[in-house]
Amino acid sequence: MGDQPLIDVDWILTNLGDPIGTSLLEHIKLSFLPILFGLLLALPLGVLSARWKPLYPPVLAGVNILYAIPSIALFFLVLPYTSFSMWTAVIPLTLYTLAILVPNVVDGLGQVPDHVRQAATAMGFGPMRRLLQVDLPVAVPFVIAGLRIASVATISMVSVASLVGLGGLGQLILTEGFRNYKFLTPILVGIVLSVALAFLVDGLLVLLQRWLTPWTRDDSRKAARAAAPAPEGDPA
Amino acid sequence: MITFERVSKRFPDGTVAVASLDLEIPTGRTTVFVGPSGCGKTTSLRMINRMVDPTDGVISIDGADVRGKDPAELRRTIGYVIQQAGLFPHRTIIDNIATVPFLLGWSKAKAHARARELMELVGLLPEQARRYPHQLSGGQQQRVGVARALAADPPVLLMDEPFSAVDPVVRASLQEELLRLQAELHKTIVFVTHDIEEAVKLGDSVAVFRPGGHLAQVDHPERLLAVPADDFVEGFIGYDRGVRRLSFFRADALPLRSDIVLGEEDTVARARETVRAHGEPWVLVVHADRTPKGWLGEPALTAAEPDALLGSLATDPYGHVFRVAEDSLRSALDASVLSPAGRAVGVDAQGQVVGVVAQSELGSAIWSVGGEESDPAERGAVGSDG
Amino acid sequence: MSPFEQVLNWFLDPANWAGTGGIPIRFLEHIQYSALALLIAAVIAIPVGLLTGHTGRGGFAAVSVANFARALPTIGVLFVVVVLAGINLIPVMVALVALAIPPILVNTHEGVRGVDPLLKDAAVGMGMRGPEVLRRLELPVAMPLILLGLRTAAIQVISTATIAAYVGVGGLGRFLVDGQSQGRGNFAMIAGGSVLVVVLAILVTVLFAAVRRFALAPGLRR
Repeated sequence: MGDQPLIDVDWILTNLGDPIGTSLLEHIKLSFLPILFGLLLALPLGVLSARWKPLYPPVLAGVNILYAIPSIALFFLVLPYTSFSMWTAVIPLTLYTLAILVPNVVDGLGQVPDHVRQAATAMGFGPMRRLLQVDLPVAVPFVIAGLRIASVATISMVSVASLVGLGGLGQLILTEGFRNYKFLTPILVGIVLSVALAFLVDGLLVLLQRWLTPWTRDDSRKAARAAAPAPEGDPA
Repeated sequence: MITFERVSKRFPDGTVAVASLDLEIPTGRTTVFVGPSGCGKTTSLRMINRMVDPTDGVISIDGADVRGKDPAELRRTIGYVIQQAGLFPHRTIIDNIATVPFLLGWSKAKAHARARELMELVGLLPEQARRYPHQLSGGQQQRVGVARALAADPPVLLMDEPFSAVDPVVRASLQEELLRLQAELHKTIVFVTHDIEEAVKLGDSVAVFRPGGHLAQVDHPERLLAVPADDFVEGFIGYDRGVRRLSFFRADALPLRSDIVLGEEDTVARARETVRAHGEPWVLVVHADRTPKGWLGEPALTAAEPDALLGSLATDPYGHVFRVAEDSLRSALDASVLSPAGRAVGVDAQGQVVGVVAQSELGSAIWSVGGEESDPAERGAVGSDG
Repeated sequence: MSPFEQVLNWFLDPANWAGTGGIPIRFLEHIQYSALALLIAAVIAIPVGLLTGHTGRGGFAAVSVANFARALPTIGVLFVVVVLAGINLIPVMVALVALAIPPILVNTHEGVRGVDPLLKDAAVGMGMRGPEVLRRLELPVAMPLILLGLRTAAIQVISTATIAAYVGVGGLGRFLVDGQSQGRGNFAMIAGGSVLVVVLAILVTVLFAAVRRFALAPGLRR
């Protein structure tokens, strides 16, 4: 432990394909699916909560309680139902993203100023058309701000899945690095790759937002700021 | 014609916004609803396009009850302009203007062509078409709002305090623009404001609402200023309604005198002669092109050499002038009050002096329009004092 | 036996409440770890956030550091420090503090920076100096966001403190680890431990609602 080199380049080179490459691919799969499913669930939940106000407090309380359950516990609790499959990680991680995404969708839908909403109604927009053509487009910067936080959180949280033996970069950290040799190199490789993946996805989402919402280009700071102080981070 | 028949609106909390309103809004004219806040003017406006439905009574457009139509369909035939413009932040200017044509199923090319036409009509530049609303000033956004309301060429235009969020200079230019547009388009406009000055300037008729949703008076604006129906209306109009009312009378009927107007090449002796002959203590000196130079008073003339030319003497400034053919009595009165000679200078469209008028003669003219039974249409009323 | 009954029986079994491995002791241990980590994070993040928000300088750096910390996998941080410092409380604290800093730092920075410039103008116009503006205006106005950041951090720390058990320390995580290691997994013990963590999180949420009542100026309560 004491006199090992911080980074063992030979180990990295010999293990580049397996386990480093395979762990990374697994990590991408295990984080991408929860973000996707989370968005698909959060949109209808958010739309319903924004439209039917009494629904929002219980929905918010529900997703916040889910958020407070330790991820490691949730992995174990769904294990009897999913057996050892990627769903054991995907289902809990999906539920965690809801605590970030649902409030952002609701806030985003609330961004349309009252006078704009009235103008839409006065021009003959029905509720559905208004949702699709006015409310949702205006909400996009907020939804993407939520996606950025949720994806960074999810990518760093996937590592916990390895404690249950579900793979991903956490497996590299835990099995290769810790349990086998107390060997720093795999742990550091796992951390660096995980952080790099998080930053890459974050950057891609920023580009996506620029492309989807050209009207915010010179005040994207405002939209980003408005969404920034939302609850953030990863329950483990 | 839009007709309100015994229309009332009571909100669920029990407040009565509009109480048994009977009103006829003539086609092709501008009708302004004015009154303090909480008087029901906005609610009345919003009942026309069914943003609010009345509790009692009937509102009809050209005889057809508005509740006989699907609200969304109805609204697509009625333009609506509101205070903060209500532009869609995520759509370009041109797409904002084309909103209703798109809803009506127009092709993109046709809708955009119409939008470009309207941008020109309301005074927007073609290069602003691809901008987004937040990149425009408040006044420009409001122009977009007006263009958007006009896009599908609706016969009726509802305007809810459209100009109250912009600064006074921009507001004045938007008001002028609206008057110009309306002279061209002849829409049935219903305009809500809390500013009596704006109401009087823009309205063919003005409906004054009092708190509690009652109609206090409906009248031509000049008549409103001349004969307020009661103390409430008089109080609401404000303190100088008499002077403001002069805006409705043209200055072209004033007796202008040109006999005390002299050229720069005339001599002091000639000027003294003029003063003696007409009993007037002032002469107006004009340049060779008949634009005004300034006033010369009797003391200055007495002190000068008789052979000197008027052009060589220092004159008193002539203040500001009024345009005889277009301006109102109010402008002429204002010009005379501000003139050092107590006389207003009337000019034609080229700025050449037509003649001057003294305050005493203005007083007679004002006296003659002071009658309560005056009919502004016959007296050549003007819509504004600009 | 249904899952619900299993968990109920686990809670009703007096053996689970007794001794050093009992529910009360583990619960208190968990509170100790969480409170210590939150305190350390707050002592670091709040002054930095107040400074960057007040001066407007270093804000980008602060937010970047927070973003980086948020992207760090907690498990990775934990095991790096275990390898370097051995099995004790230090790795757990490092991992939890790294987790708690981002929400506190970002919210403090944004809260202070978001104070209406008109208010700051008025404060300076009345003759307040920088520190007075910070203490009398910016801090109270930013307080709701700072409290929100602290609460978010607290919930995450409480939830994540369970991994302390993986490096051989106590807390409610013991029930998860010990439950997992008993054969194919002692469902009741894992579920019971999770319920206790959620209960603690709810208690903290209630606590923050109460703190909000006392710490906020009446005009800022909504």
